[in-house]
Amino acid sequence: MLELSLHIMDLVQNSLAAGATRVEIRIEESLGEDRLVIEIQDDGKGIPKEMVSRVTDPFVTSRTTRPVGLGLPLFKKAAERCGGGMEVQSEIGRGTRVVAWFQLDHLDRAPLGNIGETMGVLITGNPKVDFIYEHRVDGKAYRLETPEMKKALGPVPLNDPAVLDFVRRDIEDGLRNIGAGIFPSVAKLLK
Amino acid sequence: MKLQEIAERLRLELKTPKVPLEAEVKTGYASDLLSDVLAHSLEGDLWVTRQTHLNIVAIAVMRDLSGILLVSGAEPDPDTVEKALEKTVPIFRTSLPTFEAVGRLYQLGISGKR
Repeated sequence: MLELSLHIMDLVQNSLAAGATRVEIRIEESLGEDRLVIEIQDDGKGIPKEMVSRVTDPFVTSRTTRPVGLGLPLFKKAAERCGGGMEVQSEIGRGTRVVAWFQLDHLDRAPLGNIGETMGVLITGNPKVDFIYEHRVDGKAYRLETPEMKKALGPVPLNDPAVLDFVRRDIEDGLRNIGAGIFPSVAKLLK
Repeated sequence: MKLQEIAERLRLELKTPKVPLEAEVKTGYASDLLSDVLAHSLEGDLWVTRQTHLNIVAIAVMRDLSGILLVSGAEPDPDTVEKALEKTVPIFRTSLPTFEAVGRLYQLGISGKR
């Protein structure tokens, strides 16, 4: 996939298909350690123990509409291509945690992409699900929580079109403020 | 063939106005993996890709490529265009997919010989 936000969209769709009511997405960029970590944790139905070790095999899927599932295999390969890796932990009835790490400054690392759009679509498309989005760049952090948003919005539902716009802008501004999405060597070269 | 003529013959949309299109292009390279382009492109290549982010400009600068052709209707990110203008890297866009774009370039005499 061309952007990490598309991987996130794909994996959160898995969480929603697993009946998750709460999805936490955490991204951490560490310039000092040259590392980018993406973590997605849900409270969905979980993956059977015997399946967990096989979820990165594209021909192993819980889908009934087609015989292949590419979300986790592609995410794992994307991470490995950039000197990283991916792990999946899951417990039936408790949920699933997917964590992938990448070399931050690797040339083949996909850019973050439009995280604001991705989160906006997920939030407004699934107003009953609680989403937590947290993004850290070294010491700086941005956080968006839909339970808090719901309180602030009062009678306005999360699937109101204005919410999509708000989420997009808020994330866009928030990520800019913490300096997210930088490729240090490219930034230096293009100075 | 000059970039200008290639752009006219293939009806490419230029995303970086005012960047000179005088470079003579003899060869091209097609890949979406930036490390691959860094390793295997040649100076003066016209690079065909679906990638749109800022890093493509860095690759073009590092390898002294003649230009970048974005395929499948891909739009460059705003900061990509901004930096390409600053570094005078021509960026073109076409609705053609990679296979078709490369085929037409080949018909114009642009080869992929290494």
